[in-house]
Amino acid sequence: MVDERVLTVPGSYKEIRRICEFVAAGAAQAGFDETTIFHLELCCDEASTNIIEHAYGEEGVGNIVIRYRLSDDDFTIVMQDNGQAFDPGAVPPPPAIAKNEASAEELTSQLRIGGLGLHFIRNLMDEVHFTSDRRQGNQLIMIKKLNAS
Amino acid sequence: MSVWQEKLPQSDVWLVGVDGRLDQTLNPKLEEVLNELLDNDHFNLLVDLSRTTYINSGGLRCLVSAWRRAKANEGSLALCGLNSRLQEIFSMVGFDKVFEIYEDCSQARSRAKPQTRS
Repeated sequence: MVDERVLTVPGSYKEIRRICEFVAAGAAQAGFDETTIFHLELCCDEASTNIIEHAYGEEGVGNIVIRYRLSDDDFTIVMQDNGQAFDPGAVPPPPAIAKNEASAEELTSQLRIGGLGLHFIRNLMDEVHFTSDRRQGNQLIMIKKLNAS
Repeated sequence: MSVWQEKLPQSDVWLVGVDGRLDQTLNPKLEEVLNELLDNDHFNLLVDLSRTTYINSGGLRCLVSAWRRAKANEGSLALCGLNSRLQEIFSMVGFDKVFEIYEDCSQARSRAKPQTRS
């Protein structure tokens, strides 16, 4: 069984809901429970925001292409853009979250440097890969195993 | 999808409720409502999330920013009514240790501080 769907939307905040609904429909078809579908929506939301804010720098600069592929073993989401390369793997986790005994001040001041969205993507997906080249642009590949939900 | 507010009776606590998804559409509205209350020196806030079905990092950022402002002015920002998915998101980034979180909003309302600020 291999099923693949593609959606292309302008890189703007109001389109993120449509991206989430598109992925949620595929995830429901894959048989994920509602909590996992919520997780997948959140990851696509955060990845889309990063594309607009970091790859394109602002709204209305370029498109976001979302592709999901359902196989026998996993559900793969590929998010593609043509902006500046932004490798999520190169961003370290927020330091306060990495500490077990962080204070409220430390936990909340981390927001100045961001990174919460990437923290969710890293923790909620089973695999995350990033590639960047001139022909295909930036590709963020997020994989959720079917038997792990 | 909406954000509403009410002053709790016989208390200096303002309740702000969120009905819908705290995402790019609703986050600016929540930020506006919280900032307006804080700008008017209402530093004791309770945010009712019992009708909130989703939150992203922008929604968290908005709540934390208001929490920091309230705390800096000797106030507080508590939360109530989080469903299990929202609870998981808060705990994933340690914010369950930052906010005072009430499971039940009626309990949170009844614990609202009596008016003490002059």
